[in-house]
Amino acid sequence: MSVSKQEIKTLARLSRLEFSEEEIEKFAPEFEEIIDFANRINEQVAGDTGSIREVVSRTVKWEDLREDEVVESLPNEKITSNVQAENGYFPVRRVVK
Amino acid sequence: MKYRLVSGLETHVELATATKIFCGCTTAFGGSPNTHCCPVCTGQPGTLPVLNKKVVEYAIRAGLATHCTINTTTHLDRKNYCYPDLPKAYQISQFDKPLCENGYVELESGKRIGITRIHIEEDAGKLVHESGYTYIDYNRGGVPLIEIVSEPDISSPEEAKEYVEKLQLIMRYIGVSDCKMQEGSMRCDVNISVMEEGATEFGTRTEIKNMNSISYIEKAMAYEYERQIEVIEGGGKIVQATLRYDEHTGETSVMRTKEDAQDYRYFPEPDILTVVIPEEKVEEIRKGLPELPTDKLHRYIDELKINPATAKLLYKYKRVCDFAERAFALGAGVKNTVNLIVGTLYSKLETEEDKEKFALPVSAEEMAKLVKLVDEGKVNITLAQKTLAKMAEEGKPVSEYIKPEDVAGMDDSELTEICKKAIEANPNAVADFKAGKDKAIFALYGFVKKATQGKADIKKADEIIRGLIK
Repeated sequence: MSVSKQEIKTLARLSRLEFSEEEIEKFAPEFEEIIDFANRINEQVAGDTGSIREVVSRTVKWEDLREDEVVESLPNEKITSNVQAENGYFPVRRVVK
Repeated sequence: MKYRLVSGLETHVELATATKIFCGCTTAFGGSPNTHCCPVCTGQPGTLPVLNKKVVEYAIRAGLATHCTINTTTHLDRKNYCYPDLPKAYQISQFDKPLCENGYVELESGKRIGITRIHIEEDAGKLVHESGYTYIDYNRGGVPLIEIVSEPDISSPEEAKEYVEKLQLIMRYIGVSDCKMQEGSMRCDVNISVMEEGATEFGTRTEIKNMNSISYIEKAMAYEYERQIEVIEGGGKIVQATLRYDEHTGETSVMRTKEDAQDYRYFPEPDILTVVIPEEKVEEIRKGLPELPTDKLHRYIDELKINPATAKLLYKYKRVCDFAERAFALGAGVKNTVNLIVGTLYSKLETEEDKEKFALPVSAEEMAKLVKLVDEGKVNITLAQKTLAKMAEEGKPVSEYIKPEDVAGMDDSELTEICKKAIEANPNAVADFKAGKDKAIFALYGFVKKATQGKADIKKADEIIRGLIK
């Protein structure tokens, strides 16, 4: 399967990564190899991939779902302990103009 | 050239569960920032989501109330996007196997607006933009939502309004959400395109995001409809885009176009197993559904013979209906009950919210007692209205205002005596009445009302007076 440079650029943008032109040049064939490798799984199941999920996935029973009972939340100091909180908020660089 | 408006709505409804969709934090509205949070809903590494049973139950309820099919085997999916309102950089939602599919909401005209699907998902956090920073509050993050996606069956702003109001009413009736648009517990994305009359293909559509008021939805739709026609008539093409509506200017503007459309890279959520819902559970939920608004309205009009205008004033407020129906069950006549509610109690309930809450200190039992006095002709409607108004203010029982002796004393012979006096005291009115001026009898009513301090049943007095004059 061929991977275009444009597809690499789109993926990079979605993943918030920046690459130089040379890197993108290099990644396209590498991605092709990775995808071809992954595609070998499809070959193993003789073309029928539609039913795989049903076969392999485990299910959760109704009674094992969580009951709607409130559990105490963490105090604000604890929740924000990894950041320099401001008035209890997580501050980040402004995301809108 | 004539154009047709084609529109579909995506409506987000916050579910009224006590806890969030994947953790036990409270869903209470407001609260100091980041105080309704835990490691799960702030996306800390190593945490795992556990699905709230009630979320599934409420979503099924919503699905059944809108005539959807329930997918009893359902799974969740990851919707990836990078924005600080999502601490995990993905939202857990549903993609290819929504819980509910293929339903409809019926408008008053009988037209059905199709429901494509209803799926469950988590809400995002709230962002506050100030100076160079964006401040994040994750209290709302993880609050359960259902997204109700309609078919492009809506063909006017009026239909959109009615559809949203109907949805709101249904969700409130079945108790899954308070649907307060101003608090954000109900919000709509509006898809709009126009097509020439007789055309077979839909035009290119635009989407107006995050509408939080029904009147804005109507205005935005009307504006966007005109705008699209103007573009087409001017020889231009509609560009597929996401728009925002400016409440102040009443115009739409572009947020993003198709070129920078999001690619969410959905995939099955590996942290939550496929959910299998027993058929019996779905049946149990179906049986537990209350009478739905449209059914109630029809029953009020067709069976209880309430006039349509009054029925419409009642059925919108579930608590009012519950109150009225309890009074009916206690033997209160339908006509007098609803007239007293709409005529007297509603004047104490000014806003929509007041009517929804219906927090008046009048019990259905006391209401029934009062109405029965009117039904039996022992108290006339004017006195009943005055009494009820006082009851609604002071919260005291009927017996505080209308003593048994007042009621018992007003038998037919006593009333006849008073009517005789009324005739004697108003010779002119009697003469006019005899001469064919039917309205002259009002003077006699006035006398009777005054003499009995409003306790007399005027209908009965009317009969007696007419009998005596002839």
